[in-house]
Amino acid sequence: MHTHLRCLLLAFAAAASAAANAQDTPSDPAVATVKVSTTRDPVDKSYRKMIKGMERFEREHAYAPAASLRFQLLPRTPDVNMQGITLRVAGDTLSVKVPVEPDNSFVLPRNEQALREDAAVLANRKTTSMTWRATIVTPGLPAGTRRLGDMRLECRVGVEAGLVSNSSPLFGWLSNALTGADDVCTSPNGNYLFFAERPVFAVRLRAGARSEVLPFHFLYAGGGLPREELPFCDCQVLLDRTYYVPLWDTSWPDDTLVEFEYMSDLPEAQP
Amino acid sequence: MSARALFPALALLAALAGCATSPVPPGTQVPAERLAASVVPGTTTRAELLATLGATKTVVFDSGYEAWLYQSPAGNGRFTEFVILLNPQGVVAKTRQGPTSTPAP
Repeated sequence: MHTHLRCLLLAFAAAASAAANAQDTPSDPAVATVKVSTTRDPVDKSYRKMIKGMERFEREHAYAPAASLRFQLLPRTPDVNMQGITLRVAGDTLSVKVPVEPDNSFVLPRNEQALREDAAVLANRKTTSMTWRATIVTPGLPAGTRRLGDMRLECRVGVEAGLVSNSSPLFGWLSNALTGADDVCTSPNGNYLFFAERPVFAVRLRAGARSEVLPFHFLYAGGGLPREELPFCDCQVLLDRTYYVPLWDTSWPDDTLVEFEYMSDLPEAQP
Repeated sequence: MSARALFPALALLAALAGCATSPVPPGTQVPAERLAASVVPGTTTRAELLATLGATKTVVFDSGYEAWLYQSPAGNGRFTEFVILLNPQGVVAKTRQGPTSTPAP
């Protein structure tokens, strides 16, 4: 399923690329050519969109009534230094520093002037070097578990806020065209990726007496991503921590626990 | 329609044809008893897996770990997943079974 969607995306990308190449060599000299030299840096996020994500969190808080919302920065390329990241909200006339915690999570402050100026949220890192996620965690869960309702809300907030970072503007456009904000979190083809704290070997859902291990294709971005396609996925360096959960399957209640078996039983040594 | 306008449409058709003819290969099918007898965590090596069970769907990670997926028949056209984790030294680190479902796509 996921593979077919990816294949379709690449097919459309190939066709669009062919169209672009065809336009690169105009045969009619009377036709004007417009060159777009830059695209918006996908690491820079729209402040307005992120605020929309926060508003969605408030509207749909019932998925995770006891949780609060944070955002988190995650590595997307092998060489990015995830220590000492700074973040600011930058508009035409405004610059507001956003404190970043050691785990690279942060709370985005609400600022009316930044909204008016259509500000960007900027990190001091290179284009495509990081990806972003919403983090919504109900306090008091058993160690090493997550709660499905929290993740349902993370997806909704994350999509609304435009957090998923694809390196190709074309790829990002296609993703948005094929999967509207609500579709992503309610469809088996939504493909919203989550990242475990450590490399994961198995993911199990547990709700009361019901317990199921998720199939292999729920792990590692489907388990069929060729190495040459990895740069298109914001799971590029987190592949062994990557998994889907059946957000769309309402037979699993919001209080379902998501349990992890990691590749290594011992926590990795802290640097 | 000009030849230049046709080119992207032909590219799309060719790419979509590729989608239809190159699905992800499923995990190799091996009886459950043979899997249980052949795979011992901490002992069995990559070479032994290839020799006794054959190649199968594999995901290789930057860390050197590898996840291998086999499937064992579970009756009524259903199959149970058998997943093997190889450590960077090429030795089986752990295994898991399940879930049971129709064959992987």
